[in-house]
Amino acid sequence: MPLKIDKKVCDRCGTCISVCPCNALLLTDELSVIRDQCTQCGTCVAICPVGALEIEKL
Amino acid sequence: MIMEEKFDIAVIGAGPAGSMAAWSAAAAGRNVCLLERNNKPGFPVRCGEGIGIRSLTEHSDARPEWIKREITCSAMISPNGTKVNITDIDKSTVLDRERMDGDLAQDAVKAGAQLFVTSPVIEVTRIDGGEYQCRCPQRTIISKIVIIADGVESRVARDLGWSTRLASDDIESCAFTRVTSPLIDADCCIFYVGSSVAPGGYAWIFPRGIGEANVGLGILGTRCTAGKPKELLLQFINRELPGGCIGTLHCGGVPVTRYIRPLVRHGAMLVGDAARQVNCISGAGIHYSLFAGKTAGKVAADAIGAEGVNYSSLTNYEKLWKKRYGKQQERSFALKDFVTHHTDDAFLNRIAATLTKKKSRKIKYLTVFLSTFSRHPMLLFKAFKLFG
Ligand SMILES: Cc1cc2nc3c(=O)[nH]c(=O)nc-3n(C[C@H](O)[C@H](O)[C@H](O)COP(=O)(O)OP(=O)(O)OC[C@H]3O[C@@H](n4cnc5c(N)ncnc54)[C@H](O)[C@@H]3O)c2cc1C
Ligand code: SF4
Ligand code: SF4
Repeated sequence: MPLKIDKKVCDRCGTCISVCPCNALLLTDELSVIRDQCTQCGTCVAICPVGALEIEKL
Repeated sequence: MIMEEKFDIAVIGAGPAGSMAAWSAAAAGRNVCLLERNNKPGFPVRCGEGIGIRSLTEHSDARPEWIKREITCSAMISPNGTKVNITDIDKSTVLDRERMDGDLAQDAVKAGAQLFVTSPVIEVTRIDGGEYQCRCPQRTIISKIVIIADGVESRVARDLGWSTRLASDDIESCAFTRVTSPLIDADCCIFYVGSSVAPGGYAWIFPRGIGEANVGLGILGTRCTAGKPKELLLQFINRELPGGCIGTLHCGGVPVTRYIRPLVRHGAMLVGDAARQVNCISGAGIHYSLFAGKTAGKVAADAIGAEGVNYSSLTNYEKLWKKRYGKQQERSFALKDFVTHHTDDAFLNRIAATLTKKKSRKIKYLTVFLSTFSRHPMLLFKAFKLFG
């Protein structure tokens, strides 16, 4: 179940990047997830101050 | 076509740490570039903007325009609403960081540094000959030394072997905004503590002028769930400043852990939030960033000679940091650890109740919620014994 980024909600603050154990998040002009590095552990989801991240349930 | 350009020193991130580093290295005669992801340094501001006047003027050429408001008092509100006035702190100000960060970057440019905005560094590698290659979408920069100042995310350093990942109990997840309301005390910085206000952190109201303030809160990562800081902030504003006009809501993270060791590897140096140079109790990092950036830039400039880079002299930066702020930062971490594991709302209420009966001169230990306390860690233990 891939990590989903709500780009309208994301404030581009980088907080999620600092806690990701797999270095799977990258911020350029917007936040993106490097799919083959992400283990869907959910650490970033819980830390996001505005709730822009979600592990999608299929 | 991707351009490749060469510099003596590349600085990544144009926050206070990066701009100071670029300025001091350029002022010492080096060929410097400053790479910033955003299209404007200092925007958007992710900060409560509070700083002691002494630290500000010690580490920068502060302009009067940077100061939005001079603060004459501070207060802490305990979980049950007891207000304790704190009068023993250094004089503080609330800054205009958009202005300050913009000016610091421009100072670097005036000193000769080349600023590239809209230039996110995607990857840094050490190439043959020991030089560093910073890859951005539109350009590639080659430099002898790289100074990493990319803030809380500290992602770039991971490419060079540092482990900068933060554990959930080593970060405060924050939401903040500007509020206009007639209920704002224009002279007083107020801190609110307690598990219902901001679990494992605090909420703040820092006035920027009459009727206008920065209002925000931080929650310890282990006690945070998706979107909780935003939710609690809106509740807090409705309760404390009902009817207030709320500006755009922004968010950010504050690292609350020991500064990273080593701060220097070969020709790479870590500064500011990227190096976790933040006071773990107050979350204050502007003064540390200014100092670390200025010091690292100068040390880097001095290490470049006709024969190349004297890598061992780069560690002077780490020594100077350790001497000036290293111990203080360490103590703030020890205290944060103690506070998160051994205090609860009842404890905070007991302290507040006792403090309101004392002369403010005698209540230095209350400043646990302010940076000043980190200089007196034993006082908290004494306080604990006193009330425990
Ligand atoms: C909500 C909040 C409130 C705070 N309140 C206070 C306060 O009241 N007082 C205080 O002293 N401190 C406060 N702090 C801490 C203070 O803001 C930081 O310590 C300070 O900004 C750190 O400066 P810096 O230069 O290290 O990093 P930053 O100011 O974060 O700058 C980092 C820069 O690097 C850029 N960047 C990041 N990655 C890349 C990349 N890959 N390529 C290019 N550029 C990149 C970013 O865009 C940014 O401009 C607060 C922090 C937060 C989040
Ligand atoms: S923590 Fe949330 S708001 Fe911040 S960059 Fe990550 S997804 Fe965006
Ligand atoms: S789910 Fe885990 S691995 Fe994936 S991006 Fe988030 S923190 Fe990183």
